[in-house]
Amino acid sequence: MKGDQLGEFEELVLLTIAFLYDDAYSVAVVEALGQRLERPMSLGAVHRTMQRLEEKGLVSSRFGESTAERGGRRKRLFTVSVAGEQALQEVRRIRNELWDGIPKTAFGGSMS
Amino acid sequence: MSQKPNTPQPPRWAERLLERIIAPHLREELLGDLYELFQKRVRRFGSSQARWLYGLDVLLLLHPRLWRRNSANQHSRHPQTTDYSNPALMNMLSNHFKIALRKLNRNRSHALINVLSLSLGMACVILIFTLITYHLSFDTFHAHQDRIYRIYTEFHDDKIRYNTGVPNPLGTTFRNEHPAVEHVGRIAFLKKRVVEVSPAKKFEEDIAFADPEFLDIFNFPLVQGNPKTVLHERNTALLTERVARKYFGDEDPIGKLVHVDDSLVVRITGILHDLPPNTDFRSEMFIPFDNLKDHTPWMVEKDWWFSVNSEMQCFTRLKPGASAATIDATVLSAISDKYYNQDMAKYFRFKLQPLADVHFNPNLKGYTEKKNLWAFGLIGFFLIVTTCVNFINLSTAQALGRSKEIGVRKVLGSRRGALFWQFMTETAVMAGLATVFAFLLAYLALPAVNRLFEIELSLNPLKNVYLVTFLPILLLIVIFFSGTYPGLILARFQPLLALKGKISPRQMGGFSLRKSLVVTQFAISQLLIIGTLVIANQLRYSRQADLGFQKDAMVILPVPNNQKSNINTLRSQFSEVAGVENVTFFDTAPASEDAGSTGIRFDTRTESETFPITIKAADDQYAPTFGLQILAGRNLHPSDTIREYLVNESAVKALGLPSNQAVVGKDASINGRKGTIVGVMKDFHNRSFHAAIDPLCITTRSENYSHCGVKVSLANLGPTLAGLEKNWSAMYPSSIFTYRFLDEDIARFYKLDNMILWLIQAFSLIAIVIGCLGLYGLVSYMAAQKTKEIGVRKVLGASVFGILWLFGKEFFQLLLIAFGLAAPLAWWVMSRWLNDFVYRIELGAGIFVPAIAITSIIAVLTVGYRSLRAALANPVKSLRSE
Repeated sequence: MKGDQLGEFEELVLLTIAFLYDDAYSVAVVEALGQRLERPMSLGAVHRTMQRLEEKGLVSSRFGESTAERGGRRKRLFTVSVAGEQALQEVRRIRNELWDGIPKTAFGGSMS
Repeated sequence: MSQKPNTPQPPRWAERLLERIIAPHLREELLGDLYELFQKRVRRFGSSQARWLYGLDVLLLLHPRLWRRNSANQHSRHPQTTDYSNPALMNMLSNHFKIALRKLNRNRSHALINVLSLSLGMACVILIFTLITYHLSFDTFHAHQDRIYRIYTEFHDDKIRYNTGVPNPLGTTFRNEHPAVEHVGRIAFLKKRVVEVSPAKKFEEDIAFADPEFLDIFNFPLVQGNPKTVLHERNTALLTERVARKYFGDEDPIGKLVHVDDSLVVRITGILHDLPPNTDFRSEMFIPFDNLKDHTPWMVEKDWWFSVNSEMQCFTRLKPGASAATIDATVLSAISDKYYNQDMAKYFRFKLQPLADVHFNPNLKGYTEKKNLWAFGLIGFFLIVTTCVNFINLSTAQALGRSKEIGVRKVLGSRRGALFWQFMTETAVMAGLATVFAFLLAYLALPAVNRLFEIELSLNPLKNVYLVTFLPILLLIVIFFSGTYPGLILARFQPLLALKGKISPRQMGGFSLRKSLVVTQFAISQLLIIGTLVIANQLRYSRQADLGFQKDAMVILPVPNNQKSNINTLRSQFSEVAGVENVTFFDTAPASEDAGSTGIRFDTRTESETFPITIKAADDQYAPTFGLQILAGRNLHPSDTIREYLVNESAVKALGLPSNQAVVGKDASINGRKGTIVGVMKDFHNRSFHAAIDPLCITTRSENYSHCGVKVSLANLGPTLAGLEKNWSAMYPSSIFTYRFLDEDIARFYKLDNMILWLIQAFSLIAIVIGCLGLYGLVSYMAAQKTKEIGVRKVLGASVFGILWLFGKEFFQLLLIAFGLAAPLAWWVMSRWLNDFVYRIELGAGIFVPAIAITSIIAVLTVGYRSLRAALANPVKSLRSE
């Protein structure tokens, strides 16, 4: 189904959530991704993506503790669900297949 | 929570905004996220940038996901509270919006009237706004424009006269002697010179002779050419791109040679960007100032401090911090004292005029006064008021029909606030539509407005920052003013009464308020109508009044070369052309703003007179050709030099002589040249009706003749003009034949007044149309109110006329009250306008009676139909259902 496909950004966010494991909430994702991609991204974009992932059932969420750092508000922590893990594996499998299938000479021209 | 009071906090408005629109289940986490980010950024970048980024983040959050409620499949994890009484703002807004569209679709005619009247008013306001900002933007694009000044001359007589020009040597003196100055540039404007590219390609062009500093002071960038050398070398010229294309097409203009009149050959060394529309500099060909003495030697002949020509101007940019007032008082005053003798130093004073004033100072040939702009602004304000009033009237009348809807909504738990916002949304939708229409209307009307004002307005919201901000502000104002009142009325309905359909006028929010609104509308319409009538009458008077000379069927031709032989040949050739009745040579026509004035010493008096006398150079045919009446003495004898003078009655009066006969035969020294006064002319209007008739004299002096007046018979105008052109072109092969009619020239005196007339006519028409729509709304409402009353009255034997009077009485009262308000105001405003005319009409019953008659007729027509229908209705129908 089309709805189950992972977009590129969705995949990155999902991976980051897995990467952050126990402390995966939107600000942390923004910072982790922002550093790696070396481009600024808005909280809005990341937050919407995380909402979308949750609607697709790829992540689940719970409220964390409230802290003074956040003006006394709780954060929503995300965990990758089983379906999420499967989706990530699937993407990885397809990529690996493609990588394996690339003939050795394909990149020859540009690498010489 | 233990927060130190000095912890920086995110911007409150952004948090509030977010709290309003965010879906409840996202509220806590997102606000927390933003707060955390904010605190991190405060530490990293400082609080001001953090606040800025906070705002940016909030903007980037705006997305339907932000306010969308939990979708159904998430019920399990985020149990949704079904608290419908406190819905999220966005959901409510989208519901309001949907309802509003349905409502408008249902009452299409009502919506159409509303949108139409709103957009008419708004279109006018948009145009007025663009016009005002256009004029305010004149010459504001120059770097450091606040330090740029024009030096002008004041002549201190018994009253002060102003001249845009300065004596030729002033610029150099000012530059050399005074350190407060960054740049000084002299510039001489010469209108309608002939530029010859090749014998077959001749153009009439306004040219300017300018110092190189001109380009330093003003921001007219070069496209081609070296900014360091252009305007330095003699016999070179700069053209604008537009003119270069006109002359040379696609060829490279640099290095090309062109002839200017017969006196100069210049090489093009630079190309300027096209002049923007909002500058008063209209010359498109610039030649070094040093060349002026080759082209028009008399303008610069000998370093003459006593000649001031309004086209010989001097601009300067002061150093930062220099004060114009101080320079007026010290530097320029010192120049007067140094270069004139004691008496003359008092007479010749020089002042700095800020560049921003150049466009608006009528004494110094400014295009228009600022007060005219504010008058238009006021009209715009009036139009917006009538538009909103109209909307209020129509919607309050409509509200009656919605009482059931409101009742049901209230019973189902709708609160006042919600009902109010629902109505505001409806208003907003209509006003939004109206803005779009208004913009389209304004866009369509733009070419006509541009033609009328001879300007180049453009309506491009992408380029005009003011317009971009103005449109939403206008929209908000309209929504607020027209929506609030009906919205409050609607929200206030008692549900029980509303459902029963028994909304009393009291509940409709005081009929008196709506009455006063109608009075306002009537008053505005009457104000505009009176204005129209006054201006139209005054202009008709100016056009038709006897000016004291013959202005019809007079053709005026320029005389490029006034050597005696040329003039005599031309005179005899013209006289032979069929249809020519008379030929005369002169410098200015009887009515002209260009005539110069000078001093006079009369007879044996030892002192010069204190009043200036206007002087015209003309031959002996001038008086008979223009039909000037000689009251005493005789006309001038033919001559080419000054021997005799004709004076007018005003001059005799100014000289303080008892009778016209007293001057005839006396000597007078005018402009330092002696002659005999041989006759007295009847006064004629030597300028527009804005100015009083000046003391005036006419003398023969052929070296000043610059124009030729030909009295023609209108019966066979075409061939006559062709004959004139043939002879003229044979005489002046290097010039371009142009002719004007004297009456058109005179009509041009009132160009600005005519524009105002045209505009006020358009505006009053629109105000009346809008007012009629509002009136119609009001009378419909009254008719609906009085259905039962009319039924009862009819059953009891009232006549149709009696019932009509029931309506009519009401409106005539309002109309009279409005007239009582409008008439004094209009009288005050229009007498101030008329004060600009020395010869003017009286404000009397002739103006005010038609004004009230016109409004009454319009009111009767608008009210009549609807009330007649109410009066003719069968009483059985209205009374049966009780």
